[in-house]
Amino acid sequence: MTDLTLAVALPLLAAFVRPLFNAGALRWLGQLIGPVVLALVTVILFAHWSTFSEPFAIALGGFAPPLGIAFYVDRMALLFALAVPLVTLLLWPGDDGADGARRQSLTLLLAASLTGLALSGDLFNLYVFYELAAVASYGLVAGNGSSAGYVAAFRYLMISALGSVVGLLGIGLVYFKTGTLNLAELATLGNELADPQGLAAFAMLAIGFGVKAEMFPVNGWVPEVYGAASRRVAALLAGLASKLAVLVIVRILLLMFPSDEARQLLLVLGILGVVSGELAAYQARDMARMLGWSSIGQLGIVFIAFSLPGEAGLVAGVAAALHHLVVKSALFVLAGPWGGAIDRLRGAATVSALGAGLFVLFALSLLGLPPLPGFWSKFLVIGGLADAGTALHYLGMAAVLTGTVIEGAYLLRVITTLYAPPAGSPAPPRQRGSDLLTAGLFGIALLAAAVMIDPLWQTLDALAVSGVDTAAYQQTVLAAQEAHP
Amino acid sequence: MTTQIGLVFFIAAIGLCVIGIGGIVLSRNLFRMVLALAIAEAGANLLLVLAGYRWDAVAPILSAGQMPAPMVDPVPQAMVLTAIVIGVGVQALALTLVVRVKQRYGTLDMQLARERMNAEIDATADVTPPRSQERPRGERPLPAPAGGAHD
Amino acid sequence: MRNIATLLFLGGLAFLLIVITGSLDFGAPPMRIGTQIQAATAGDVGTANIVTAVVLGYRGLDTLGELSILFAAATAGGLVLGSAAARARPDGGFILRAGADLMFPLLLIAGLYIVIHGHLTPGGGFQGGVILAAAFFLPLLARPGTTPGHRWLMWIEGLSGATFIVIGLLALYRGDAFLTPLFDHGTLGELVSGGSLPLLYLAVGLKVGAELAGLLMRLAQDDEVTS
Repeated sequence: MTDLTLAVALPLLAAFVRPLFNAGALRWLGQLIGPVVLALVTVILFAHWSTFSEPFAIALGGFAPPLGIAFYVDRMALLFALAVPLVTLLLWPGDDGADGARRQSLTLLLAASLTGLALSGDLFNLYVFYELAAVASYGLVAGNGSSAGYVAAFRYLMISALGSVVGLLGIGLVYFKTGTLNLAELATLGNELADPQGLAAFAMLAIGFGVKAEMFPVNGWVPEVYGAASRRVAALLAGLASKLAVLVIVRILLLMFPSDEARQLLLVLGILGVVSGELAAYQARDMARMLGWSSIGQLGIVFIAFSLPGEAGLVAGVAAALHHLVVKSALFVLAGPWGGAIDRLRGAATVSALGAGLFVLFALSLLGLPPLPGFWSKFLVIGGLADAGTALHYLGMAAVLTGTVIEGAYLLRVITTLYAPPAGSPAPPRQRGSDLLTAGLFGIALLAAAVMIDPLWQTLDALAVSGVDTAAYQQTVLAAQEAHP
Repeated sequence: MTTQIGLVFFIAAIGLCVIGIGGIVLSRNLFRMVLALAIAEAGANLLLVLAGYRWDAVAPILSAGQMPAPMVDPVPQAMVLTAIVIGVGVQALALTLVVRVKQRYGTLDMQLARERMNAEIDATADVTPPRSQERPRGERPLPAPAGGAHD
Repeated sequence: MRNIATLLFLGGLAFLLIVITGSLDFGAPPMRIGTQIQAATAGDVGTANIVTAVVLGYRGLDTLGELSILFAAATAGGLVLGSAAARARPDGGFILRAGADLMFPLLLIAGLYIVIHGHLTPGGGFQGGVILAAAFFLPLLARPGTTPGHRWLMWIEGLSGATFIVIGLLALYRGDAFLTPLFDHGTLGELVSGGSLPLLYLAVGLKVGAELAGLLMRLAQDDEVTS
């Protein structure tokens, strides 16, 4: 079996050599290298996924953990890692020239770092991959050459860098108290971090990693960046990158800070995210920023789900995260030509019936209409909140329900505009074929999930069982020698 | 005695961090924000390197294959090395963005640049901003206000 | 008013952080992995400088990530500023030119020395790479008219990064984990020791040098018309 570290190493290698092939006789190679490597990584990850039997660890450099860096591979990590090359392939920037090569390089770096975030089991290594993802995304945001993009990228960089400083302080605090960085060894030292200092460290780490996850206090960059960047980049950041950042926060919560206070902190931040995001989305008058604000609200729901204890929380969280990954990426792709003012979309359904149909499908799933997967993800969250049953959880439930109502208001407003009779001149914008193809593929994935809800449910359950099993994580990682399967 | 000296170091690290964060939040000048970021990162790096310090210990370099004396923890030093380089990369990228913002919008003032950015996003999206109809559209910079946006 | 509120908040934050860190045990770290690494370095990696063993051996993936971050920053910088072209600018003058000519070989030697001795003494690829970048940037300051060798830099950037990964992949091919050090350790403390680590540090040094030099040149030579 091929080694899983290739999933990180190969995209990095491809990114390094990509700019060398943007001119001359080997230009075709440059255009091919990115998609080929990503497809290869998808195959490697899928082979692991389909033959997966039980979690294992990889000791990088052959140094037995906790001395070296370890990758930990369980179903949850594999699932999220698999999503990275797949979605990146779907949203691949296919353009040419020196700037096109740079954009492809940055996209490959982003893919490598996000895969690393899914697999890595080392606190500082997570920070490094997170920073790599951040720097690559600043470049992609600024990369469309608009003046607004430069300011948006600068503000994003500043907010993110502030978060990184706070996160680095958190890592320093953890290292001060424990003297190790390996998540498995940190999990064995649970009681050393179960004090106010530990909670402070968790808050710092959550703020640090929360910037990309669009967590409540550090998400001021979201609407501007999604408004100013190209829509495919917005889809990549809102759909994919935010989920991997969420995964990191969840791993840290489960392994290092399994306390009620930390969960409550996540719950409160999630509630604030839902309320603030959905209210702002309601006020937005253009599609791109509306989707941006709405993704803050949706990620709030994801945080609320993950704050629930035990397997139920993990199932609900993973379901909500994956659903949002598919739906929000697709909506941002559709917002390519339709990203402007919502008023301008009057009658757009008459010029692109398929696009409008897809939009309705995704919007209804986002709202949670019963046969669609969005319903099940919201159902799991609400059910989990009702089971947990403290006042704070009921508040969370109220927030999720209110958020859904507001969501319904603004999404239906868009849908009625799409199907309204055309206003005459100017003609409503038409969807491009490539965007429709990408969105259509996401739509097929969504419908397939709706049909196969039963096996999907079982997979999620199995995933959650091993996901909360922190004892297995510790044993697997700490027993890992240089040998790997 | 020892804890007092430790406290001095902690105050230095956290002071740098807080000064940097304050600089980013309070200053309107883009270039000063980059400088403030550098200060904040220095504070975080200092805290990180303090995490490995031991009293009466030497640098972690083997001489003739032996440990001459107790050595400080090498891991935070390696982490700080990494963090510094990451910081350099981020700051360099921030500076390239500052150069471009100054050229396109003709200002280094964060608030002005942000207003113009929002106006530009509104204009591309074809949304009329709710309140101020008189906001500038497009990329043409306005003359700087009397407050002295140009440093 | 907003400023006062922010200042109060910052004061509170500083107080909180000092209270949190104040109770930490300064000067007596737990050293849970530190002690083991100190004891194991001579046998596992064979470099005299333990920090190098950590940077390139135990935490080699971090270093690869860090190189990628620098690469990402340089690529993003290129995307923002475009490929720099030489711009007509006043000459640096005799003193600057002569000084740059004098400094160039010295900086080159110092930089390479620091890179090559990274596994023995404090220093290494990052520190040396910065000096190398300065060596190549200095002539540009003295003679602003000359065209910078962007193509050269691009190839050094790409190939040195690729070398780092390929050395890691060779270990994988041999049956070990990714980034396992190759070759014999040699005698501890000699120039040729530490297996493949000096090679890795050379790649790091070249990459850091090329990356930083490229970024500096872009910033210095940016020629979009200032509005």
